[in-house]
Amino acid sequence: MPRFDLALLLHGQYHDWLVTGLLVSLKLAAVVFVFALPLAIVIALLRLAPLRALRALGVAYVEGIRNVPLLAHLLFWYFGAPELLPDGVKERLYAGNFEFLAGAIALTLYTAAYMAEDIRSGIRAIPLVQFEAGRALGFGFLATMRRIVLPQALRITVPPLISQTLNLWKDTSIATVIGVAEMMYQAARVESASFRSAEAFAFATAAYLTVSLAITGLAAWYHHRFPVRTV
Amino acid sequence: MRNRLRPLLAAIFAATALVSAAHADQLDDIRKKGEIVFGVLGTDEPNSFVDPASRDIVGYEVDIAKAIAKKLGVKPVFKQLAVAARIPELQQGRVDVLAASLTHNKEREGQIDFSLTTFVTGQKVLVKKSSGITDVPQLAGKKVLTVKGGTQEPNIRKAVPNVDVVTFETTQQAFLALQQGKGVGYVNDEASLVNDYAKLGPAKKDYAILPTNISTEPLALGIRKGEPALKAAIDGTLRELESSGDADKLFVKWYGPATKLQFDRRSFRIDSDKI
Repeated sequence: MPRFDLALLLHGQYHDWLVTGLLVSLKLAAVVFVFALPLAIVIALLRLAPLRALRALGVAYVEGIRNVPLLAHLLFWYFGAPELLPDGVKERLYAGNFEFLAGAIALTLYTAAYMAEDIRSGIRAIPLVQFEAGRALGFGFLATMRRIVLPQALRITVPPLISQTLNLWKDTSIATVIGVAEMMYQAARVESASFRSAEAFAFATAAYLTVSLAITGLAAWYHHRFPVRTV
Repeated sequence: MRNRLRPLLAAIFAATALVSAAHADQLDDIRKKGEIVFGVLGTDEPNSFVDPASRDIVGYEVDIAKAIAKKLGVKPVFKQLAVAARIPELQQGRVDVLAASLTHNKEREGQIDFSLTTFVTGQKVLVKKSSGITDVPQLAGKKVLTVKGGTQEPNIRKAVPNVDVVTFETTQQAFLALQQGKGVGYVNDEASLVNDYAKLGPAKKDYAILPTNISTEPLALGIRKGEPALKAAIDGTLRELESSGDADKLFVKWYGPATKLQFDRRSFRIDSDKI
């Protein structure tokens, strides 16, 4: 086995590939987070809605998405779903970076299902009397949720949400199967170009670990700065 | 304490020595086990692919592998590998020999040994006619699709420096992406490309294979480094296939006029491991 060549990771072509990959991974995770969180709140509210049909919709979404592997989601949104679109729309989509778009859609829908469940448990952790008090003061369902329940629930939800964000960060690596040029994609590319598997995957591992630890650190800080208010 | 440890250490050393002795010669191991494990792609017609009727892995390289196993007097076992996993799987000893549409090139010679060249193919690009592209240089700035971990990506980048390449786990996913219009070209070994082209059926008229080769690829079996006995046995079998005329028969069976590929004649001989 050749010696571990650190210089390869610090500068040169392979370094550039890996850094590009890291940036794509970060961008993908950020885009997905921004869209998945609001979607998750909507789904959590659907699951707690006063109307049975809305609740059923929420359940169907969560169960439908959670019980199918992420790999299948990615392949579906890249190879499957867009084929149903009319030709003109398809052409315009494919002309851009459709790999990234399909990856972002699949990851958003997938992550939102998990986040929705965490948010729902956060909401359920708020004593029902808070909700009832809101309604008694004349607020509607949505207004009660927005002004009274959600602000408290989201604080409780932060730790599990962070854990979902960590999962999301790691899940971005699977987007390599639909040709998204993220970190694992570039690490594999370095590996096949240079046979430097140890170096390439050491870089990827260190990068995943660093970002993961940063997310965890952020969580700890948030928790300290905005502690759960006890009723 | 020290005295009690010593026999234990001795035992460990003895065991290590035995293990390394057992691995001293792979050919002996293969004969002892009674089987030889070939790493194949299984997704690359006609070199190795799953026959839909029998569900067995068949193909040109599979037949060569079977001939080698027969010569060694052992049972051939086929293990499917991803393109990018071929060399690592061989190096880590999970397969004995690679028969996986493996290009023999200088870069890889530092990693593994190669048998005699078993096939020579150009690498080409398949495009949709509607893209208006008629030759390789026009791919500049366009998106082309291919498989991860092979020589296709470096070769197309060398041929067309500012091309945009997207890679997938298998050649067939890249081919599907081309059909869906997710790129303008699909890069692969000519033999596989012609076969894919034939699979298009009536839609063939909308596609064209660009005339220029982006490279010429000698394919060979991959063998772990430092196994001269195994390499000699494999090369010996390949030479016999060539001299007996069986190599030509295999070519005609998988690539000849009666196949989808319709190659008229063989442009190479199995007689050299130099590239």
